[in-house]
Amino acid sequence: MTDKKLKFLVVDDFATMRRIIRNLLKELGFNDVDEAEDGVIALQKLRGGSFDFVVSDWNMPNMDGLTLLQNIRADETLKGIPVLMVTAEAKKENIVAAAQAGASGYVVKPFTAGTLDEKLNKIFEKMKSNAAA
Amino acid sequence: MSDTANSPLAPEALRLPHKVVPMRSTRNEQAVPPNGETAGAAGSAADNVISRVGQLTRTLHESLRELGYDKRLGQAASEITDAQDRLSYVAMLTQQAAERALNAIEIAKPNQDELASRATHLAGRWRQVWDDHGKAQAGSQFADLVTQTRDYLGDVPTRTNATNAQLMEIMMAQEFQDLTGQVIKKITTMVQTLEHELVQLLMDNVPSERKPEADTGLINGPVVNAQARSDIVTSQNQVDDVLASLGF
Repeated sequence: MTDKKLKFLVVDDFATMRRIIRNLLKELGFNDVDEAEDGVIALQKLRGGSFDFVVSDWNMPNMDGLTLLQNIRADETLKGIPVLMVTAEAKKENIVAAAQAGASGYVVKPFTAGTLDEKLNKIFEKMKSNAAA
Repeated sequence: MSDTANSPLAPEALRLPHKVVPMRSTRNEQAVPPNGETAGAAGSAADNVISRVGQLTRTLHESLRELGYDKRLGQAASEITDAQDRLSYVAMLTQQAAERALNAIEIAKPNQDELASRATHLAGRWRQVWDDHGKAQAGSQFADLVTQTRDYLGDVPTRTNATNAQLMEIMMAQEFQDLTGQVIKKITTMVQTLEHELVQLLMDNVPSERKPEADTGLINGPVVNAQARSDIVTSQNQVDDVLASLGF
C-alpha cells in the first residue's frame, strides 16, 4: 500500500484544525507531520525540508492557500508535491480556481475522517500511476 | 425632499455642520446655498449629486439631534465595543473548550492502544500455556476461569477500537471551532467598520463635553474583558474580600 513514511505539511491558521488533521493522518498511519500557520511559513518549511504532501487551508493571514498553491506549482523543486485543499470556502468559483491552480484535491469543511481518507487515497493512486508512467 | 425636511428646523438647520466628513465639507459649503439651488450655473451632474448628499447629510444630522437620536447612537456605539468583546469572549472560550477536548483525546487514545496491545500479548501467552498444560485441567473450575479470561482478553482490542472510534468522533466534532471562529472573525471585522462609521457620525454631531453614562445594570452576563475594568472582581478571593469588607 501507500508508503507510510510520507512527510506531510499541514497548513491552517487555526491550531485546532491543524491538530485534528494531524491526528487523522496519524490514525491513517502517517506519523511524519509538520505544521505551518500560514502560506509564508509553509513555503519556508517546504523549501527547507523534503515534504511529500501538503494539506492546506485557504483563508489564512499573510499568504492564503491559493497563493501558496500557486507558489508551489511555480517552484521547480516543489511543483510535483500533491496539495490537498481543506477549506470552508465552498463557492464553485473557489473550487474552480483551486483546480486551475493545480490543486490535487479539495475537501470542504466541515468534513469527516472518511472524506479525508478517501481523497488522500485518490491522490496516492494518482501518484502511483504517475510514477509508473 | 430637502425643503420639507428642512422647514421645521429652520433657521438652525441652515447652518452647515462644522465637521461633516472633511473631504466633502468645503465643497458642500460652496455647493449648497440656502435656497437649495445648485451652485454655479455650470455645476455638473456630479456637483449636483454632491450637493444633494451634502444637504441630506445635514438634514440627517439635524434631525437626529432634534429627535434625540444622537444619544441613542452614542449608546449604540458603546454597545458595539461591548459586542466585540463578547464575540472575542465566545471565540476564546470555544477555542479553550475545543483544546481541552483535544488534549483529553490525545491522552486517552494511547491508553486505549496500550490496553489493547497488552491484552493481545497476554492472550497469546495464555494460549501457549493452555496448549502446553491445559489438557490436564480440562473440565475443572480453573479451566473455566482460563476460558473466560481468554475470551475477555480477546475482546479487549475490539472494545478499545470501538472507544477509539468514538474518540475520533469527539475529535472531529471540535472542527466546529475553526468554522465558528472564522464566522466570528468576519463579524468582528464588519462590526469594526460599523463602529468606525458610527463614531464618525457622532463626532460630527455630539457636543464634546458629554460624559459617558456608567453601566448600572445588574444583569450583564459574564465579564469578557476584565483587564480594562476596575469595577469587577476576577477571582473568588476578590469576591470574598468584598464580602469581608461588608462584614460578612
